[in-house]
Amino acid sequence: MGNIKDEAAQWLDGTAANITFIVTKDCQLACKYCYLVGKNDKERMSFLTAKKAIDYILTSSLFFGRQKSVILDFIGGEPLLEVELIDKICDYFKLQTYIRGHKWFDAYRINLTTNGLNYHTKKVRKFIEKNITHLSITITIDGNEIKHDLNRVYKNSGKGSYKNVLKNIPLWLKDFKDIGTKVTISSADIPYIKESVLHLFSLGIHHLYTNCVFEDVWKEGDDKLFEEQLSELADIIIDNEYYKDFTCSFFSENIGKPLDPILENQNWCGAGKMLAVDAAGMFYPCTRFAGYSLREKKPIIIGNVRDGIDKNKLRPFLTLDRTTQSPQKCLDCEVASGCAWCQGENYDAAETNTIYQRATAICLMHKARVRANNYYWNKLYRKLELEGQREEFEKNKRKVKPVDC
Amino acid sequence: MLQYLVILLDDTSISFCHYSVNKKERNLISLDHLRKGIRFGMVENLMIQFVYPDYTLPQEYLDVIDTIDHSSIKPFAALDSGTDIVVIDDWECDATKLKDSVLVLRTNWKQFYENHSKLKGLLNVVQRLNVVITDLERMNDCDRENYKAVLEAMCKDIEALYVDGKSPQFNLLTDRMILTEMNNCNAGDTTITLAPNGKFYICPAFYYNDENDNVGDIENGLVIKNKQLYKLDYAPICRKCDAWQCRRCTWLNRKTTLEVNTPSHEQCVAAHLERNASRDLMLSLRSKGTFLPDKEEIKELTYLDPFEIATRWK
Repeated sequence: MGNIKDEAAQWLDGTAANITFIVTKDCQLACKYCYLVGKNDKERMSFLTAKKAIDYILTSSLFFGRQKSVILDFIGGEPLLEVELIDKICDYFKLQTYIRGHKWFDAYRINLTTNGLNYHTKKVRKFIEKNITHLSITITIDGNEIKHDLNRVYKNSGKGSYKNVLKNIPLWLKDFKDIGTKVTISSADIPYIKESVLHLFSLGIHHLYTNCVFEDVWKEGDDKLFEEQLSELADIIIDNEYYKDFTCSFFSENIGKPLDPILENQNWCGAGKMLAVDAAGMFYPCTRFAGYSLREKKPIIIGNVRDGIDKNKLRPFLTLDRTTQSPQKCLDCEVASGCAWCQGENYDAAETNTIYQRATAICLMHKARVRANNYYWNKLYRKLELEGQREEFEKNKRKVKPVDC
Repeated sequence: MLQYLVILLDDTSISFCHYSVNKKERNLISLDHLRKGIRFGMVENLMIQFVYPDYTLPQEYLDVIDTIDHSSIKPFAALDSGTDIVVIDDWECDATKLKDSVLVLRTNWKQFYENHSKLKGLLNVVQRLNVVITDLERMNDCDRENYKAVLEAMCKDIEALYVDGKSPQFNLLTDRMILTEMNNCNAGDTTITLAPNGKFYICPAFYYNDENDNVGDIENGLVIKNKQLYKLDYAPICRKCDAWQCRRCTWLNRKTTLEVNTPSHEQCVAAHLERNASRDLMLSLRSKGTFLPDKEEIKELTYLDPFEIATRWK
């Protein structure tokens, strides 16, 4: 198997097109922080719709004229509930790129994020073995049992899913040796962050992509508790030298600086530069703009498999910048860098039907993270300097890509 | 900052812009709402523009209207000496009645191509001519070429009028030569509309499109959420554009791109064809002698839609 880490770096450097197939809106779980408010077991993508989407995409230069490679993302609900469909879609994509002599023939990757519950099944194993050279699968495990089961519960019983996910982690790490997982933080699980990160390291997961939910779920005092958890985690990572083998995106050197309004004015989110298609064959600038993701607003549909993309609907997304959508407090913020936003959540939370109003529910959490992050790097660099290891560390450190959503 | 208040006197008040009036039944604004609208304009220091239907208003309405300095926008059928702006959407009207008027001519692409030769005659008569293309958003490649050709032909007509010592005002070709900055619709920023139902709207188009899409009412005041998005500084494509004569229609923006601050491809292309034709006209007039010496030359551009280079700006 190739080195997924290096390959991912190339594939995620922004030059690849990204197409997301919403293959099902069903899931075995009902995670409490899940933004997918309209999950259901009715809307399953047909193979015909997927074929039409691929046919359109492979013949359209409007959206994908320049990218030399493509990432095929499969999302749900739980995508592995539809692994046979995904396999058929991938086969069709491979066949069509070959027949058409398309530049994406063999220049593709398949990405999946799964709850991991079906990872061991025969159907899934077969799919993985068949596609392993072009495949990246992430299993979401949110931390230790308490934290994971606080949110990631079965939709029917309400029971936690931790034990059943844990069973599949060794198999997953065998398939994808240097893979990471995404850890989502909401209000209730802040007290378990430190233990959860250490637990995931102990399972052999070396890279953790962490983010706070963008929704307005935070309670008074959450930021203080968050900072405490991260600071204690920083002590343990440094004292035990976990930083040599593990990364956790809570701690990133580039966050917490002021941003130049002209030179650093780019949008955070990639919505509009990617394309999502759902079971009805509708196109969206990202899955977060599909109806099942939105609490308050109507979906933003930018086209469909029959008529193609309405380029006018994409213009706001592709011209959106940081300063135009940010309130004054964000423009004046002295620790602005690394403060993320989700365009879909911005839209859903906005006072009008616009993507140009940045939601700031995570403001205090970002500031808490910045303080803990400053503590981490100051402590780590002092230790490395005293031990004469700073240069060596700088040379070998792994770049952590920020997690968008 | 608000400067203008448009008051639609009736549901059948004439459209003077891109939108269509889809209400067929007469529904006159109540006298109470009219009085309150006028008072709102007075206390907010706004210039009021009344938009008339094609029938004569009751005398008590005329008396109330007369209590405030204002502009009157009227359909051709209601044209009288008190008309400041007259609107026609019929190319066959009697032009002699339009002498020295400010005329808004609403037309679709097809009618425009078929009748554009009549524009020179109108420009000879009126003080100012604003042409509004009512199906602007449906511009296709063929329209693009046709529009370019018509504007080129019109340049020759305008040039001839200037040579004759006249100073025609024609929104599609002469405005850009005179302007020094963006001069657009500005609905929601400098202009707001009061509809017959007593509610405020960003512009009349928002009222006719969806009555629930209001921004407050005359009883409780104006509430424009995300007001900044109606300002030029918050329009990423437009704020760096120099097609200053562009209508930058807020309603068409939202209709076509779903955002009030983002113009469609068609809006940008049409505005740039006008801008480029204005450039040619200005160069041609300057070749004949001194012409607008205090105005800068309009630069040559390599694109018709600034969106094409928008990523370079970011």
